[in-house]
Amino acid sequence: MKSKSFSTRLSLNVLLIVSILFVVALSVVAIFSHILISKEAQKSSTNMLNASISDIEQTLLQVESTIQNASWLVKENEQDEEYLYHITQKVVDENPFIVGSTIAFDSNYVNGRFHFAPYSCKDEKTGAIKSLQLGEHYDYFASEWYRKAADSGKPCWSEPYFDKGGGELMMSTFSYPILDNNNQLIAIITADISLKWLTEKVAAIRPYEHSYASLTSQEGHYLSRGENYDLVNETLLTTAQKAKDTRVMELSQKIINGESGMMRYEHHGKSGFAVFGPLHNGWALAITCLYRDVLEQALKMDIILAIICIIGILIMLLVCHRTIRHMTQPLTEFSTAAHAMAKGNFQAQLPVIKTKDEIMQLHDSFEYLQQSLTTYISELKITTKANERMESELNIARSIQFGMLPKILPKNKNCSVHALLTPAKEVGGDLYDYQLKDNMLYFAIGDVSGKGVPASLVMAITLAACRFFNSMELPMKKLVGHLNNNVSENNEANMFVTMFAGRIDLEKHEMVFCNAGHNPIIVIPPDEKPYFLKAHTNLAVGIFPDFQYQDETLFTPTGTRLILFTDGVTEAENHNQELYGNQRLLTLVSAPEFKQFNAQEMTDAIYASVKNFTEGNEQNDDITILSIIV
Amino acid sequence: MDVTINKEESKTIVVLNGRLDTTNASKFQQDIEPLMEGDNPDIEIDCTNMEYTSSQGLRLFLMLQKSVTSRAGNLILTNMKPQVKEVFDITGFSNIINIL
Repeated sequence: MKSKSFSTRLSLNVLLIVSILFVVALSVVAIFSHILISKEAQKSSTNMLNASISDIEQTLLQVESTIQNASWLVKENEQDEEYLYHITQKVVDENPFIVGSTIAFDSNYVNGRFHFAPYSCKDEKTGAIKSLQLGEHYDYFASEWYRKAADSGKPCWSEPYFDKGGGELMMSTFSYPILDNNNQLIAIITADISLKWLTEKVAAIRPYEHSYASLTSQEGHYLSRGENYDLVNETLLTTAQKAKDTRVMELSQKIINGESGMMRYEHHGKSGFAVFGPLHNGWALAITCLYRDVLEQALKMDIILAIICIIGILIMLLVCHRTIRHMTQPLTEFSTAAHAMAKGNFQAQLPVIKTKDEIMQLHDSFEYLQQSLTTYISELKITTKANERMESELNIARSIQFGMLPKILPKNKNCSVHALLTPAKEVGGDLYDYQLKDNMLYFAIGDVSGKGVPASLVMAITLAACRFFNSMELPMKKLVGHLNNNVSENNEANMFVTMFAGRIDLEKHEMVFCNAGHNPIIVIPPDEKPYFLKAHTNLAVGIFPDFQYQDETLFTPTGTRLILFTDGVTEAENHNQELYGNQRLLTLVSAPEFKQFNAQEMTDAIYASVKNFTEGNEQNDDITILSIIV
Repeated sequence: MDVTINKEESKTIVVLNGRLDTTNASKFQQDIEPLMEGDNPDIEIDCTNMEYTSSQGLRLFLMLQKSVTSRAGNLILTNMKPQVKEVFDITGFSNIINIL
């Protein structure tokens, strides 16, 4: 997976937080504004409802007062049929809402007028008024508008009906009972009003696009209900039943019961509210509004706000990303610089930082690192150079030291000599020497205390002095005594040399030797076992001047072999810190084939055995082996 | 190589433990440097647990011996193991250093 850059991750995090904040803020704003707008809509709808109710009532009261006034005229002129017709004509003519009016006399009336009902109606198109006697065509005693008023003795409004015989219109009739002084019914005077105007009026009550208002009668019949509805067969209750919703049923019941108020409801998945209130005559007006309409503007506003927010967030993301990338750009450059430094370029260009912040600290650290590394590397170069110089000087010293050692013994059938010197370091403190002169073989082996350069200096002095005193042909004890005095002089460092030196007279087969604190040498007589030569213990050379050394004599018949060595051989250590030791060496040289070896083979065999024993363990002392065969 | 130095009234007792070789000779030299001066030159070195000495170690014993002698004191090495004693014998150091 590809890792996202720091700036991208940070930007996305900021985006996430800001988005959450925006969503929460927008939601809160939306919820509160929706609540406020809904309340405001309910309030304004209620106001509209009340205004509409009083508007309708004004008309109804006008109709009622017209009829009420006419009832007096009927009472006074009940015998004058002509005048009764005139009254109905006048009622229809004067009140524009009244399309028909009748004065239906009661059957029980004493004057015996049966089925007498003068009636006038207005042609809706022409406005012409025609009159007729309604009782001739129509048994009005059974009709609802008559019975209701006659039975109760009180004025009332009929349920809406479709006037087939009359105006061919949806009508409602206001019936007003005219009573005599004995409270006996004389007649019912009516006013038919067309519901058309009500329909128009109610249809005009539309606070919102999908709002509608409905005017219902006491029994829940629709007097007016928006537009294009079946007013005849449907009632408020049937509508509510269709909705199959208890809330709608409850609402219908409240409206029919003449209550006023506001109620929320759900219809066909749309939520809305209804405000409703009763008219004085038992009718009720209700206005329904869908929240969808109410909140339409608010929703539009919400969407616009959301779009603005999204655009804002995107712009912010862009700016944020660019800013952070700008801020973290130095990190990339630091990374490049670090890579360059890793490849050895300590002068790699660092980014220029102007801000005094953590990046500045990083810059300072980087700069310090560069400076430190540069200094360190230059110092290291100097040290390395010095080391190289020292090494080359040591190599020169080594070749000088090795140059001092004797190389080749002049060929002589009576003796052979071979030597090997391996210093533990470049230069060492071991030495050997030999010389053949007039059948006298002189030889010496020595080991300066310590090793390395200090030992090598003492070795050089000792070797040079040794050779010089040998050339003076001094007796062996004098030779070593002089050597001791020479080395002891000004020996501030308390260095000393253990030495074994000897001379063999090849004709007399006699060896004179002096052991100055050195390891005993191995003697291999021609016909006997090898042994360590016991010698008088003299003090090592260089410790006390004027020490009296003693020399000794050994018979060395032809075939005698001598092995001289330094403690680098017997004290060679293996990994288990075991020493090679005298016994191992003696066992090695006791092997029968050893007597067949020439001098070089003897030396090499011993050295190989030591190396085999140490198994690659670091050599910690100089090793010198000198083999002599006489 | 462990070196323990106890200064008593009459003498200084040094206890050596381990191998005295090239790698720790200079450390031993530092340890005994304070013993090469002062009014109380008598030194007894307990060599019971000394396993080995190199020629550099011998050199340091020699230095100590010379220092002690110059201040008219006595240096005594005690309980030396045979293989260590052998080195002292071969080099002739037994002749100049008092080994008990």
